[in-house]
Amino acid sequence: MADSGKTCLTLDDVVAGASTARAGKKAGNSYLPEVATVIEIIEETPTIKTFRLRFDDPEVQKNFSFMPGQVGQLGIFGVGESTFAISSKPSEKEYIQFSVMKAGEVTKALHNLSVGDKVGVRGPMGNGFPVDEWKGKHILYVLGGIGSAALKATIEYTLEHRADYTGISILYGATHPTNFTYWYDVEEWQKRDDIELVLTIDRECDGWQCDVGMVPTVLERMAPKPENTIAITCGPPIMIKFALISFENLGFTPEQTYTTLEKRMKCGIGICGRCNVGPKYVCVDGPVFSLAELKELPDEL
Amino acid sequence: MAIKFLKQDQLPAFLGYLAEKARVVAPVKTDGVVQFEPWTAGKDVELDVLLAKQSPKEWVFPQTETYLKFQYSTVVPEQSDEGEDAAEGAVPHEMIEVESLNEAPTQVIFGLRPCDARGFVQMDQVFGGYGGFYFDPLYNARRAATTLLAVTCRDPRSTCFCAALDGGPAGTEGVDALFTQVDGGFTAEPLTEKGETALGFSGFADATDAQTSQADSVKSEAVTKVDAPFTLEGIRDNLHDNIEDKGWHDLCMRCISCGTCTYVCPSCYCFSINDELVEAKGERYRVWDNCFNPLYTEETSGHNPRAQKSNRFRNRFSHKFWYYPDKYDSLLCSGCGRCIMHCPTRIDIREVLQVMGSPRAAASGEPTEAEGKEA
Repeated sequence: MADSGKTCLTLDDVVAGASTARAGKKAGNSYLPEVATVIEIIEETPTIKTFRLRFDDPEVQKNFSFMPGQVGQLGIFGVGESTFAISSKPSEKEYIQFSVMKAGEVTKALHNLSVGDKVGVRGPMGNGFPVDEWKGKHILYVLGGIGSAALKATIEYTLEHRADYTGISILYGATHPTNFTYWYDVEEWQKRDDIELVLTIDRECDGWQCDVGMVPTVLERMAPKPENTIAITCGPPIMIKFALISFENLGFTPEQTYTTLEKRMKCGIGICGRCNVGPKYVCVDGPVFSLAELKELPDEL
Repeated sequence: MAIKFLKQDQLPAFLGYLAEKARVVAPVKTDGVVQFEPWTAGKDVELDVLLAKQSPKEWVFPQTETYLKFQYSTVVPEQSDEGEDAAEGAVPHEMIEVESLNEAPTQVIFGLRPCDARGFVQMDQVFGGYGGFYFDPLYNARRAATTLLAVTCRDPRSTCFCAALDGGPAGTEGVDALFTQVDGGFTAEPLTEKGETALGFSGFADATDAQTSQADSVKSEAVTKVDAPFTLEGIRDNLHDNIEDKGWHDLCMRCISCGTCTYVCPSCYCFSINDELVEAKGERYRVWDNCFNPLYTEETSGHNPRAQKSNRFRNRFSHKFWYYPDKYDSLLCSGCGRCIMHCPTRIDIREVLQVMGSPRAAASGEPTEAEGKEA
């Protein structure tokens, strides 16, 4: 077949017996999780918990680094693993965190964890957001519900490197005030005068001071200018669908519109074959895609 | 490397020689079914039936492979007072050990066909991290410890189509040594260092000119017996252009989503990962999966990116002739025809490729109402 200069790895490229986290830039046994301990659990909403974890091996904890937007496989030995966005700050060296909505078998078991329990973590995986390429641009985040988890690390990264970006806007929607995740951080964002923050809920609610309305509607009301701006959205599929339409209405091109995808995943390393959308694997080619890239793919989202 | 000759009656002695140092796997007939099994002295190798029911894939990529064992110091609480949900998700605490397994015995597979060997070469791309992706230590350890001694297909079947895919009944891709049946025995050509080592058995003689020329004519005659009902040219692009074509709905109509084609295939490699826990001890294993199963992609929310049977059906053929070639510069089909032979509803990959791999008239992607409803 065609020779494109790409070659397979060999056993020499492999750190024998090392997990991905341990092998660093070389290849290891990517199926091997690192054992971590739950050090803190935050009840974000009635159905979402955030788990702060510390790797049992201090060296692994110290050396663990990831790009904002990358994901990991979080699992309980004996129950299984699922893919979640890493929602801690990339600069956080004391722990890594995942936010988990209770939905299926693995997430139910995760919700039963207590501080001190052991979990397995594989990662980091996937491409992450190209935050370096975006320097000098205005970043607009549009998020809803648990979609906040997928964008949290990226939001925090750009806030930490605020000077690298000309502006940051965050539109965050939830069905009800009790369904906002990271409210403790949202309160910090509210205090900042160097970002634009719009919070909205779906329906009127006593005591609510901010916007009311569905995210795409509020987005069109905000009317962000597409010039030199990157628009990123994540949330429930229906919200993403309409947010993308709103971006288009506002004049954003597919090249400046990004989202991050979810799929049922197993290996997380581009081998097991189930998270493909046409020739792309969400686990290694994604989870971050521009709308321009998505338009090239079969309609299997 | 010199071509050798092995007398027919020396085959058991040769396999016995190999078995001193390695596990020998060969096609053996048991209860009327030919399967690749560990060979032991006294077992007859079945080469008259062209293809074993399944390819020897499982000896490098086992159907079920446990790769992690773990142990907790406490057992799962049996009952919880927080209702059913809590009990369902109850987990043990305090892990004491996680052990990774990576078993890779030295083995020789004898009697596989060139298409079977080519299946391994095709899978090597994804498991070997071609293009900088992840390297699969489980597969590669087994692959490195395996020698493939293939036998030329003297009498290809009507379902064979290797020739349409740039392969052939005496193809050498992935083959360490190629055996060809001639009068009184086999010629044997070592093709790699592994093959050379395997042919170290003292029962081999140097092949005579008559034997090598007979082998050559067996090979060239075999090539004429393989049907090549389509050419590869344009297939990838046409599959791409026809993705929303209604033809997929028509072709998948009689598919019962059993997945047999994926299990007998020498290059279908998709798998699932599962955990088992009994009291405080557990295992994590990977197991062959098939993309025809709706649960393959169904998400916890109930959303299924490939909700219709036609989407799943389309995925298998597109994976083999479009997605995989795009990503790994390799086909994911060697034309063995097992999927045609074993399909309970007689779906024929050659027909699918002829129809969907050709230019189609104006594409219409609208599913019928019945299609939209089934899950």
